[in-house]
Amino acid sequence: MDNKMIELNNVTRRFGEKQVLKGITLHVNKGEIFGLLGPSGAGKTTIINILTGQLSCGGSARIFGISCEKIGREVYRRTGTVLDNCGLYDRLSCADNLRLFAQIHQTPLFRVGEVLHQVGLDGCEGKKVKTLSKGMKQRLGLARAILHNPELIFMDEPTSGLDPATASEIHALMNELRHKGTTIFLTTHNMDEAYRMCGRIALLSEGKMVAYGEPAAICRQHCRTAALNIVTADGEKLLLSNSPDHADVIAGLMRSGQLRSIHSCEPDLGTVFLSLTGKELDQ
Amino acid sequence: MKTSTAILTKQCKDSLHNFPSLMIMLIYPSVAWIMITAMGSEEDMSGFFVPMFAAMHGSFAPIAISSNILSEEKEKGTLRSLIMAGVSSVNYLISISLFVILATMLTGCAFLLMGAFTRDHAVKFAAAMLAGAVLSTLIGLCIGICSKNVTAANGIAVPVGLVLALLPMLGRFNSTIDRVGELTYSGQMSRLMQDGTITVQMMAVLGAHFIALCVLLTLLFKHDKLK
Repeated sequence: MDNKMIELNNVTRRFGEKQVLKGITLHVNKGEIFGLLGPSGAGKTTIINILTGQLSCGGSARIFGISCEKIGREVYRRTGTVLDNCGLYDRLSCADNLRLFAQIHQTPLFRVGEVLHQVGLDGCEGKKVKTLSKGMKQRLGLARAILHNPELIFMDEPTSGLDPATASEIHALMNELRHKGTTIFLTTHNMDEAYRMCGRIALLSEGKMVAYGEPAAICRQHCRTAALNIVTADGEKLLLSNSPDHADVIAGLMRSGQLRSIHSCEPDLGTVFLSLTGKELDQ
Repeated sequence: MKTSTAILTKQCKDSLHNFPSLMIMLIYPSVAWIMITAMGSEEDMSGFFVPMFAAMHGSFAPIAISSNILSEEKEKGTLRSLIMAGVSSVNYLISISLFVILATMLTGCAFLLMGAFTRDHAVKFAAAMLAGAVLSTLIGLCIGICSKNVTAANGIAVPVGLVLALLPMLGRFNSTIDRVGELTYSGQMSRLMQDGTITVQMMAVLGAHFIALCVLLTLLFKHDKLK
């Protein structure tokens, strides 16, 4: 059985004169968290819009094996979306917001209470959305996305503008969903989030995919300077190039019991992105 | 059908908590009631005020409300989340239109209670209100589709709505404005509400407006697709 939830093959998209996507090819496997990483304007949201049938494209884009240009109700029932701006009705209560989508997805209304509990918003049923904090709104957005138990969730910058504590709560919920077998398609410009959460990632820059694969493998692959980070028993930090010249130094530290820790120094995703594009990732 | 009902229910709840929308829906019936009550002791002014304010209500309120709903949903991203949940754009527009027309008719019933109408005249009055509500809603949707946010929508909806709403009233004081007003649906609507006479010119003006607005809405919708 085909394990691919999403397949993009040489996808292109143009807005007027501007080519925003330039031949994107990637796939997302069932049950993984896939990260689309890139700065603002790289084309991340455009890809989500293509995958949800909001935009047409050149090349081939398929979701559950169905062409994205022929997406119908069945596909929408199998997907959920968390938008960066939440897209919630401010004047309605949390429960009313969820009830609307439960009716649209023809999901039993008892799920409203269940998902509010799942995202930690118990007791907020009657609260108006406009009175919620940004983190609570984002959790409510996530509750709306999982209301109908979708197989695939699109998350467009779900932690953008959130404090680290709230962001880690969202990450915990994402991990919980992944353990239940839900596939997550995450767009972000936060490299730490992508590194920690995603099984595989694609780095986008100006509509082009500059790297694709497991985050650690990408970092190793683009490791230009082989260096070792050493901490001695005295707490002294040494940065040695990984060359035969330094073998004696390391051996000496080991023999004298002075070596506390030794780590290879792969670049982080931000550094990789910078080296590939000449730009900062969070620009 | 279930989706339309869900959107209609959502819109009812949302509008009840939206003070500006409530004001727009209730302002003309309220002003008419105040004017009739204030001048009631001098002579029966309901025959003058009721058709005038009803025409204003039927032409202004649906334009302002429908453009406001659509542009606000676009601005806040709620429309995007509805569409990503599988709600078709056409289904959404029909549901919103239905809400605006129902709300206009419901609040417009106040005019029927204020005026001394015969049964035949009341039916024609309601028909005129319905025609006005439908045509104004179409204008409001066109404005909502073109506008990226509420400010932009209001910038077009308010002047357009006011011109259409004020033309019938100003036509009572100036024959040139009256002749121009006869070419607009709000002018014909006001005439039908006032004397209850259906004319060929009235049907032609209303029909022409309906066709023109449907074509305009279709073109705008095909071009913008509620993006």
